[in-house]
Amino acid sequence: MLSRRLYVLPFLALLALIVVWPLSTVVVGSFKPGAPLEHYAYILGSRFYLKAFSVTLKLSLLTTALGLAIAVLPAIALRARSRRLSDLALTIGNIGANFAGVPSVLAFMILLGSNGIVTKLLREAGLMEGFDLYSWSGLVLTYLFFQVSIGTVLVLPVITAIPRDIEEAADLLGQGGARFWASVGLPVVWRQLLSVATLLFANAMGTYATAYTLMGTSAQIVTVRIGELVAGDVFADPGLANALSICLLVVLIAPILLAQLLTAKGTKA
Amino acid sequence: MSRHLSGSFLFLLAGLFALPFLAIALSAVATDWSDALLPRHIGLDVITSVLGDPRFQASVLRSLAISFTALALSLALIVPAIVAAHVYWPALDRWFARLVVLPYAVPAVVLVVGYLRVFSQPPVQINGTPTLLALAYVPLCFPMLYVNVKNALQGLAVRDWLDAGRLVGATDERVLLCVVLPMIAPAIGLACVLNLGILMGEFVYANLLVGGRFETLQIYMFAQRSESGSVTSVIILAYFLTLLLLTALAIWLSARGGTDKR
Repeated sequence: MLSRRLYVLPFLALLALIVVWPLSTVVVGSFKPGAPLEHYAYILGSRFYLKAFSVTLKLSLLTTALGLAIAVLPAIALRARSRRLSDLALTIGNIGANFAGVPSVLAFMILLGSNGIVTKLLREAGLMEGFDLYSWSGLVLTYLFFQVSIGTVLVLPVITAIPRDIEEAADLLGQGGARFWASVGLPVVWRQLLSVATLLFANAMGTYATAYTLMGTSAQIVTVRIGELVAGDVFADPGLANALSICLLVVLIAPILLAQLLTAKGTKA
Repeated sequence: MSRHLSGSFLFLLAGLFALPFLAIALSAVATDWSDALLPRHIGLDVITSVLGDPRFQASVLRSLAISFTALALSLALIVPAIVAAHVYWPALDRWFARLVVLPYAVPAVVLVVGYLRVFSQPPVQINGTPTLLALAYVPLCFPMLYVNVKNALQGLAVRDWLDAGRLVGATDERVLLCVVLPMIAPAIGLACVLNLGILMGEFVYANLLVGGRFETLQIYMFAQRSESGSVTSVIILAYFLTLLLLTALAIWLSARGGTDKR
């Protein structure tokens, strides 16, 4: 029995080599010998990096909230319909998730870039004032694309799993439709929705391809800052890249842990 | 919410999702679409020139090669680990269940920072090589494999079969290989197809670890971003159709595997 546990060893060894070891050097390397917190102090004192964190945080929070909302509505609408249609929506969400990053941004450029197909149409109609794809609104749009896709894949099963009889019971009591969802339906699954939200948030915080394809190194996004320090011609300050990575990890993992704590408490009570 | 209203809402969403792809498909065949609402000419020249481009073909082959290498490695390392943890080590299994969020919790950029230090010097000097890329892809395959294989395992009475096997003198390995493996094979197949979609679409590791030295499909796409609209349209369309094909395959596989699920 016990000896057969050894079958997990090769995988654990790979995880140690390819995740644990590199990650631990990032942690250790973020502290400067002699002046341990110097890199962190530099980040906290740098308007450049603080700006990147505030932009990334705002973008992630906004697209998580919007993405979740946009994913929940069709999930509710799909509940009343056939299973096949829900499966189709899941499939579309999955394709969207795989299409995220470079291809989706290229698609947005073809449609909404300065010479885009839709841009030309809207410009003629006088509706394109003030929209620039290579800016904040473009980031929101391209981030929303994958947030909605992944959100749909994660939210649909949660909404589908709500027992049908409570919906019918609420309907009998005159609490049907939107009132049911506001007062019963969504509160019943708030824990699952919260963990979906933390995953969406973490995903947005850690996204690199979308922002980098859209705006290159001029994107004020934390992952792009890190990538710049790593892939630049000169690897000027590895310590700084390490400390930035740790700051990103903390911001991104804290909500996941917090949500797990909250939901664990809830199930015990 | 009335049924009629929710129906039109879903229809609107589906339309919003489909419209960009239709526009891109149109832009891929349009040869003269600079000043009019609709293209003046329709032709397949751009499609044939992109698909015939050796650089494009080579990038597809590289992507396929790296993805299949990573998939083979994942199958060899991860499937035995999931089965062994399920049967012999439930405590570890609970940790595996948490590990599913790993690709979300630890962004690729952060790991790349670590790779550049760890793998730039002996004993494992593989920085900048496709080998490192393939290794980095293995943890990415874990969530899909775990969710699907675990689902399949939960529907099986593996422990009873092992007991029965011991009674007739069959080793656990024999029972696992000859009885359990065929039963979970459809789930493994499905996970492989889903993972192929993920790996073919991976950009961060590819760009930061190997970049132009080993141009994968995503790196090629990225490099073409400043090309004309019709060229990028063709590339995107080709990629989208590949995803559709993989999805169709996944649906077919899950329908086959679904027959013996609850």
